Amino acid sequence: MEDLGLKIFGAILTTFMAFAVGMTYGGIVRKLTARVQNRYGPPVYQNFLDLLKLQSKKTNIAHGFMGHMAPVWIIIAAVTVLMFIPILNGNLWFPNLSFHGDLIFLLYMMVFGSLGMALGAGQTGNPNSAIGVTRGLSQMVGYEIPFVLALVALMIQYETTSVQDLTQIQHETGVWNAFANPFAFLAALFASLGMFRYSPFDIVGAPAELASGPVSEFGGKYLGTMMSGGAVFAFIKLTLYVHLFFGGAGNPDNSGIWATLAGIGILLIKTFLLYMIPVFYGWINPRYRTEQAIRYFWGWPTALGILGVLWAVYIY
Amino acid sequence: MTDLVKENKLLDAVSQAFKIKGKVIRNRRVEVYADKNMVSSILLFAKKQLGYIHMAHMTCVDWIDQGEFELVYTIYSPIEKITLFVKTRIDRENPEMENIDSIWDQANTYEREMREMFGIEFPGLVGEHDFILEDWDQIPPMRKEFDTHKYSAETFFSRPGREDAKEVRDELSKRSGTIVPDFAKKYSRE
Amino acid sequence: MENDKNSQKIVDYIQNFSRKHSLFVLAYGTGCGAIEIPATMTSRYDAERFGIRGAATPRQADVLLITGYLSTKTLKRVIRVYEQMQEPKYVIGFGSCTINGGMYYDSYNTINGLDQYLPVDVYINGCMPRPESVISGFVKLQELIQDGKANNGEKYRENLEHYRTNQKKIIKNWKMPDYNW
Repeated sequence: MEDLGLKIFGAILTTFMAFAVGMTYGGIVRKLTARVQNRYGPPVYQNFLDLLKLQSKKTNIAHGFMGHMAPVWIIIAAVTVLMFIPILNGNLWFPNLSFHGDLIFLLYMMVFGSLGMALGAGQTGNPNSAIGVTRGLSQMVGYEIPFVLALVALMIQYETTSVQDLTQIQHETGVWNAFANPFAFLAALFASLGMFRYSPFDIVGAPAELASGPVSEFGGKYLGTMMSGGAVFAFIKLTLYVHLFFGGAGNPDNSGIWATLAGIGILLIKTFLLYMIPVFYGWINPRYRTEQAIRYFWGWPTALGILGVLWAVYIY
Repeated sequence: MTDLVKENKLLDAVSQAFKIKGKVIRNRRVEVYADKNMVSSILLFAKKQLGYIHMAHMTCVDWIDQGEFELVYTIYSPIEKITLFVKTRIDRENPEMENIDSIWDQANTYEREMREMFGIEFPGLVGEHDFILEDWDQIPPMRKEFDTHKYSAETFFSRPGREDAKEVRDELSKRSGTIVPDFAKKYSRE
Repeated sequence: MENDKNSQKIVDYIQNFSRKHSLFVLAYGTGCGAIEIPATMTSRYDAERFGIRGAATPRQADVLLITGYLSTKTLKRVIRVYEQMQEPKYVIGFGSCTINGGMYYDSYNTINGLDQYLPVDVYINGCMPRPESVISGFVKLQELIQDGKANNGEKYRENLEHYRTNQKKIIKNWKMPDYNW
């Protein structure tokens, strides 16, 4: 019973932590972008101020039932996916709901949020939203292929589909998966550039190109919810990558409070350093069109993914 | 370089073909004065025979005392690099002019502007009547009998204080007690 | 009752603090003053450190910048854009053409003062105002928001008849949706 209490407490704490960390990462990235461009930037807590301002708008305009539902679906998708990722490895506080087949479940659950946004944007009747949604989903077709190939390579190599088992195996053998199967890691790294929607793959929500795509008719509370959902999704994907390729964080033998805090600290450092890769690449690149982006993803990243699968089958 | 050989040759070619007068203004600028019925023939002749293939501009001048509109067509030759002005006069009471849309496509835009701003009729001109102004119900506004200041003061609400527009530098120097230096005085309104 | 007033003051303070430090400006240059906006937003006179960033659609924007003269054609579209924004919304008048007509005061096509057609919070004068003036205009708007005096969205909604008669005097072909929000 007290186990259940601890787990519920851990789940709530996970949600708040994902939200706060995701928004703070966004603020840090804005500050770093400003410094790179030789100017001061907004303060690090700027995303929280944006969210507060959007939530305190006095009138809210919605376009029907789906318009209300779209931000709600994004939050539902974000929190559901969050519950299935073990934040710290084998900890009593944060195992959340992970089970043995959860990698496949995560693959299709992550798409649920985009589906909600697509339905909501379609209800508004704005042609900009429709074009933005089509472009976003086409780009998703692009980057899902190397991502799935990398995950399949890992699943074949270690004959398990559980995130927790993969982390445990890395802990036991002492070698990170990034070096045990480098082709899978490179394919997943290229796919992550598309997932985080920084340049060159930010055609979906580009403000000058398309009147910001799917969110063009949402304002006020709906826009605030969508922005925070995006921040939570970024944290989720980063955590998944760290667990799959960089050894995860946390010590399964020790569940005391200092070990937990140290585990969270290591997780934050690893996710931040991994986040810098798409951000750095985004500072220096212009934007790709949709067909160029899909052609990019189906070129070298897919080849690396296939090489990763062959490595997993024949070398191991 | 003051020979102006090319310009004089051009002027001779056009004025002898059509028996009209003209003038060489300076290096690279030549103008001819034509009758209103001959304008399209002169323009087509210049385009096909003399190589003046680019129409740069077309405009209208309102000579209200003489009761005429003056239309000026500006064409240019990229090989000889000379700009040729073809000027005509049309009547001001019932202004009507030929449509040269078939010689150059861009004349469509200029003629629509002239139809809206001056009230000149171009028979056969295709294009919407509301080009620049929306829901305009007064006389064509670029004519000199249209008092635009009076119209603006009546239609749009003016903020008081505009009537006695003072010179800004003098006012500020009076208020702060400093003197306007001499080099700044040459930009004043006198 | 005393508790109620104090908590209302705290909520108001937090709301105004977040509203003034995160202004979304609609990226719409209505006149020739729009050439000073990129100069304000980029590296030298950085406006993003105040939290000001561009927004793409009127549904996401807070501030509408009327930069320069407004012809009657543009006024019809600007009114429609203003009515699509969500409250609280602010209007900043840029340049002397919005104050008293500027250098186009005797033109048959441009309006002479913005105040009769849309409620304005802050005027920034100049032709065109330099980026330092633009930033000082935004700082003045921030002070007005903190004091709670920037409620012109409600003022427009309450005095709709007054503004409509003024607008219909110069826009003769009125084919626009009704103001229902």
